[in-house]
Amino acid sequence: MEFKLEAHRIVSISLGKIYNSRVQRGGIKLHKNLLVSLVLRSARQVYLSDPCPGLYLAGPAGIPAPPPQQQPGEPAAGPPAGWGEPPPPAARASWPDTEPQPERPSVSHAPRVGDEVPVTTVTGVGDVLQGGEADATEAAWSRVERSRQAAAREAEGPAGGWGVFPEGSLAARRPCGCPLGGEDPPGTPATTPRTACCCAPRPAEDEPPAPPAVCPRKRGAAGVGGGPAGCPAPGSTPLKKPRRNLEQPPSGGEDDDAEEMETGNVANLISIFGSSFSGLLRKSPGGGREEEEGEESGPEAAEPGQICCDKPVLRDMNPWSTAIVAF
Amino acid sequence: LKCTEKYICCLSFQSKSDIISTVEFNHTGELLATGDKGGRVVIFQREQESKNQVHRRGEYNVYSTFQSHEPEFDYLKSLEIEEKINKIRWLPQQNAAYFLLSTNDKTVKLWKVSERDKRPEGYNLKDEEGRLRDPATITTLRVPVLRPMDLMVEATPRRVFANAHTYHINSISVNSDYETYMSADDLRINLWNFEITNQSFNIVDIKPANMEELTEVITAAEFHPHHCNTFVYSSSKGTIRLCDMRASALCDRHTKFFEEPEDPSNRSFFSEIISSISDVKFSHSGRYIMTRDYLTVKVWDLNMENRPIETYQVHDYLRSKLCSLYENDCIFDKFECVWNGSDSVIMTGSYNNFFRMFDRNTKRDVTLEASRENSKPRAILKPRKVCVGGKRRKDEISVDSLDFSKKILHTAWHPSENIIAVAATNNLYIFQDKVN
Repeated sequence: MEFKLEAHRIVSISLGKIYNSRVQRGGIKLHKNLLVSLVLRSARQVYLSDPCPGLYLAGPAGIPAPPPQQQPGEPAAGPPAGWGEPPPPAARASWPDTEPQPERPSVSHAPRVGDEVPVTTVTGVGDVLQGGEADATEAAWSRVERSRQAAAREAEGPAGGWGVFPEGSLAARRPCGCPLGGEDPPGTPATTPRTACCCAPRPAEDEPPAPPAVCPRKRGAAGVGGGPAGCPAPGSTPLKKPRRNLEQPPSGGEDDDAEEMETGNVANLISIFGSSFSGLLRKSPGGGREEEEGEESGPEAAEPGQICCDKPVLRDMNPWSTAIVAF
Repeated sequence: LKCTEKYICCLSFQSKSDIISTVEFNHTGELLATGDKGGRVVIFQREQESKNQVHRRGEYNVYSTFQSHEPEFDYLKSLEIEEKINKIRWLPQQNAAYFLLSTNDKTVKLWKVSERDKRPEGYNLKDEEGRLRDPATITTLRVPVLRPMDLMVEATPRRVFANAHTYHINSISVNSDYETYMSADDLRINLWNFEITNQSFNIVDIKPANMEELTEVITAAEFHPHHCNTFVYSSSKGTIRLCDMRASALCDRHTKFFEEPEDPSNRSFFSEIISSISDVKFSHSGRYIMTRDYLTVKVWDLNMENRPIETYQVHDYLRSKLCSLYENDCIFDKFECVWNGSDSVIMTGSYNNFFRMFDRNTKRDVTLEASRENSKPRAILKPRKVCVGGKRRKDEISVDSLDFSKKILHTAWHPSENIIAVAATNNLYIFQDKVN
């Protein structure tokens, strides 16, 4: 448990560093961000592999929460299984290569990874943590998150209705019963564009400040077919989706949202970053990615956009920024 | 050369505002250049030893100060480019003027530093203030003559090598052919000719086709001191590659690959960070390379790739504090390391304004402190000790009392004498060994 808490703390700190690197003078430092991402990956693995049942319990009877969450073939409530794997390339591919604003949420993969991981993690975390078990970490988490809120709000501007969402989207991401979500076993490049997961992120409902949906922003040029609004990745919640896809309300009451969002975000953010480390996790380049062509242009396109902020950093940025902006 | 020799302070210079970011002696040791975060370069010159005071060796005084780089803004990428001087490297002196390369994150500049102690007087077409004369008023012609003037040291930018790096430049190194030099950023190394500024050759490119596959970056690079075809570069993964430019135009395949297997018992969240090499330096002999990572300094024999021949612990007591150091960003500090002139002693910095010297022959080491209190002129540096546990003795300092904001990242050693320059934040200290 201590490992998990420490890992959680390290994840928080790391995310904070990545965020801050965006605003520091001189541009994003590739070396430092790479190192931080390595730490993040290690912490994530520990976090997910630490078999601490407490954090996975949905709350009451320790039954994995929201029943429908598990996708067919999804690993059961066990943690790491799905997490340790790199998310399908498609998910990543959905990340905006050409989008100028990093705030665009590009956590397309998040939902699916989140799907794999027992949603319980998402929902349960909040519940459990409310129990005070991880108050410390939650507090640390909130602290870190709040510090980002301010910046996030500013960044929200251009993103308009799109941006932001960390909590909202994250919470929204709880695995919906949507068959689209999480169908692909981890690590499998998604070969078929998925129609947007119609599982409305709960946030769709509690919209107000933060437009919910972490929708991997529309693919843009890469445009994966399918999915309303061109929502790219499987299981990802299209940006604009939230409003429309209110099919699977997250389990748990609205009032749980707040707490859940805060703590559940950890797990979700971990999953977010999981995808961005696919390069670190995989030895060989992934194949079969539909958006590859769009993706290829990414690095180069990304280059001019932000000095020294290439893919891995960009990847980290986007979902992160969405997370942050949402606050 | 024994590192247990006593050192005394002969200069303490405080920059007006900025943190010193690089320190470098020239090839004779006559000049010492410092660069700072504000883009300024300050050059010190050693005064000639006076015959009257033979027991006092030459001291260093400010020789020239100039603004090398200014902050820039890349409008295309909406990014500010810092003016901080990352590295300065001297060219060997070939005439009366001195030449040095200074670089910030993006642009390398060649500066000429020259003295002017005469000025021409007696122009026909201009008056003494430089105003043009009406030709109609000129009735006689004279030949301008050079008259002595107060010594003036002027620095002029002779070349600007720009727009060749997408990522942040971390190293520059002058080749032993004195015609070329290289500049390295996180993913690429470029080879330049001093005379040509509008193009450079890319000799190393480790950028993956898909940036998501990125797992390591280049952290430092240096040419071999004698073989103009050979250079090394270090990576964030703790490896060093030696490349031969004769092998191919693009040195993507190394000639030698130096890596020490990781000790699994030391594994932690931060293992990767602390194994990242922050500096690599060839010995003067060219036989060895020295690398600095967060906790150690290692000496490698070019002929043995599978492990270093020597490993020195700089501040191993920090190993248990890595998480805190990660939080306060100290774990990302990039310490440099230097050889002395005979390659028998190596030096590197630490925290609390401490710096360490290791004598490779006697295996003795010493910790010294560069601080205002300890550095009154001619004060002798006292060895310091960090108490790692148990009872702290009187003069020791406990690990928890270390000031991590006082870090010595940059040091330099005179090429032939026991004179060292130590940069402590915005202070520069020059110490030399005590004579008799």
